[in-house]
Amino acid sequence: MSTSTPVKAPAVTRASGSPTGSPVGGRPARRPGRSPSERNRPFWMLAPGGILMVIIIIVPLAIAFVISLLDLDQYTLRSWLQAPFIGLQNYLEAVTKSSLLRSIWISVSYAAIASAVTLPIGVAAALATQNAFRGRGLVRSIFLIPYVLPAFVVGTVWRTMLQPGGVVDAGLTGLGIHAGLWLNGPQSYWALIAVQIWSSWPFFYLLVLAGLQSVDQEVHEAAAIDGAGWWTKLRHVIFPYLKGPVSLALIISFLHNINGFTLPFVLFGVPAPEDVNVLPVLTYITSFQSFRFGLSAAMAVASLVLIAIPLFIYLKAVRLDTGEEGKRP
Amino acid sequence: MTEILVRPPLLGRKPTGRLNADVTRLLPKPLLVTIVVILLLAVLVPLLYIVLASVNSDVSVASGAFFPTELHLDNYLKVWTTVDLRNGLINSVIVSGSVAIICAALAVSSAYVLVRFAFRGRLTVLRTLVGLQSIPGTLMLLPVFVLFASLASALGIQIIGTRWALFITYITFALPFSTWVMVTYLRGLPRELEEAARIDGASSWRILTRIIVPLSWPGIVVSAIFAFLLGWNDVLFASVMTDRTSRTAAVALQVFGATQEGGAIPLYGQMMAASLICALPVVVLYLVFQRYLVGGLTAGGVK
Repeated sequence: MSTSTPVKAPAVTRASGSPTGSPVGGRPARRPGRSPSERNRPFWMLAPGGILMVIIIIVPLAIAFVISLLDLDQYTLRSWLQAPFIGLQNYLEAVTKSSLLRSIWISVSYAAIASAVTLPIGVAAALATQNAFRGRGLVRSIFLIPYVLPAFVVGTVWRTMLQPGGVVDAGLTGLGIHAGLWLNGPQSYWALIAVQIWSSWPFFYLLVLAGLQSVDQEVHEAAAIDGAGWWTKLRHVIFPYLKGPVSLALIISFLHNINGFTLPFVLFGVPAPEDVNVLPVLTYITSFQSFRFGLSAAMAVASLVLIAIPLFIYLKAVRLDTGEEGKRP
Repeated sequence: MTEILVRPPLLGRKPTGRLNADVTRLLPKPLLVTIVVILLLAVLVPLLYIVLASVNSDVSVASGAFFPTELHLDNYLKVWTTVDLRNGLINSVIVSGSVAIICAALAVSSAYVLVRFAFRGRLTVLRTLVGLQSIPGTLMLLPVFVLFASLASALGIQIIGTRWALFITYITFALPFSTWVMVTYLRGLPRELEEAARIDGASSWRILTRIIVPLSWPGIVVSAIFAFLLGWNDVLFASVMTDRTSRTAAVALQVFGATQEGGAIPLYGQMMAASLICALPVVVLYLVFQRYLVGGLTAGGVK
C-alpha cells in the first residue's frame, strides 16, 4: 500500500520458506465437527482490521474511479458528488493533452533500470559476505544503512550533495570531469536512478543472502571435488539457486520504484524537472498543485493498470497457502 | 533444512556445525576484498559527508567542501528553533508509535483467524492482503482526502489537519503487510499447545492472548516496527493532511528547504543535522532488532 512497505515484504515472507506445512489449507476437506478449525470460528477478530481496510482502502478505491469520471476542481470538491459527470474525458485529456504518457515512460524505464543495476550489486555483496571473516557482522550492519535510512532523508542529503557546486561536483571536478547540472535538465534522470540504486541495493543483497543459505554443504563439497573454478561454480552451481530470490526481488523492487513518490519528490522538489516527472509526482501535482482532481484520479487509475502486470506475476509467485515464494530451485 | 521445520520461521537458524569456509568460499579473496571495500566506501563516504556537513557552515557546504573549514556544532542547537522540529518529532513519535501498537494487535488477531481457521474466501483474503501492499499511495491520497473531507461536512467531524487523519490512514495502510507478516509467522508455530488448550475448553480469545501472543513476540515486533516505519517515513499523506501543529518530522524537514528563500544560502548545515536527527530513531530501531528483521531472510543462516 504505502510507498515504502512493499519492498520490505519478502524480508518476512521468505521466512515462511521453511516448509512447515501447516495443515490449515483451505481445500483439504476436514470431517465436520471434529476439527476445531470449523467450529466457533472467531470471525469477529477479523472485524476491526477488515472494517478499517474496507473504509479506508476499498471505499476510496471506488471513490477514485468515480472521481476520475467527474469534472472536479477545488471549488466543487466539497460537494464532489454533484460535480458534472464527464465520462471518459479525463482519461482522454490525460492521454492526449497531459504529460501522462511521458511520465509513464519515465517511471517504467527508471524503475526497470534501477532494479536491473541493483541486481548485480546485491549479488556481489551477498557473495562477498557469505563466508565468515573478521568484522563481517559490522560490514553487514553497514551494508543495511542506505536501505534503512528514510527516503525523505536520502532525498534531502543527496539533494544537498548534488547541488550545483556541491560536494559531488567538487569531487568530479577533482577528477577532471565537469558534469553540469544534476538536479535539473536531462542528467536529473540519471541522478534519480543513481540515488535510487544507492538506497535500494541492500534489498537485493538481503534476498540473495537468504537464497545462498539454501545451498547445501554437499553441493559446495561436490563442486570442490570436481575441482570447479570459482566462476564455473558460481555460474553452474550457485546461480541456479538464486533464480527464485532474484526474480522475486526484481518484481518487488520494480513495483516499489514505480510507486515511489518520496524520493523523486524530495530530491527534486515540485514542480519536478521534466525529465524526472515520474507518474506518482505527476499525479500528486495535478491534484494538489493544479487542483485538477478528476484528471489526477484518471492518472492514478492509469497507474493501477501499470502495476497490474508485475503485481499479477507476484501474486502468482507467492504461494498463499504455504506462504512459500515461487518455485524453489 | 529439517531443523527449521519445528521452529518459528523468524528464529530459524541452521546449526553452524559443519561449516567449512574453504569449501563454501564463493569468490577468490582479492575479488572478495575489492567488492567489500568498494561497497563500504560507497556507503560510508556519503554518510561521513552528512555527518561532517551537519557541523559545517552553510557557505562551506555550498562550495562543495568535504571537510568543515570551521566547526559549527551550534547547527544542532539551531535546528530546534529554525523549524519546529521538536513538535514534528513528537507528532511522529505519537502517531507512528500508536500505529505500531494498534496495527500489531489487529494484525495478530486477524492472522490467527486466517491461519488457524478454514473458511470460504480465506484464499481471497490472503491474496488481497498481498495485492494491497502494492497499491500506489498516490492513488489513495486523493480519495482518502475526499472521504475525510466528506465526513467532515456530513458529520461535522474535522479529521484533516489532525493527527487522527494520519493515525487512521497509516494503520490501515500498514495492516495488509503487518497481517501478512503475522500470517507467515503463525504458520510456523506448532499447533499442539492450542489444541491441548482447546480440548481443555479454552475460548479462541483465551488461546490468542495466552498462547499465540506470548509465542509470537518476534513476529509481533517485526510487524509493529514495519508499521512504525510506514508512519515515520511517509511524506505523501503527511504533506497534505497535516497543518502547522500536526505536521510530522518528515514534513518539518521539508520546511528547511522552504526557509532558504530570499537569495540567501540554504541552511545546509542545519538541514543535514535535522536529517540525521530524523534518521536516528529508525536506524537505531533497525540495528537493535536487526536479528528479527533480517532473521526472516537469513533463516538457516551461518552466523
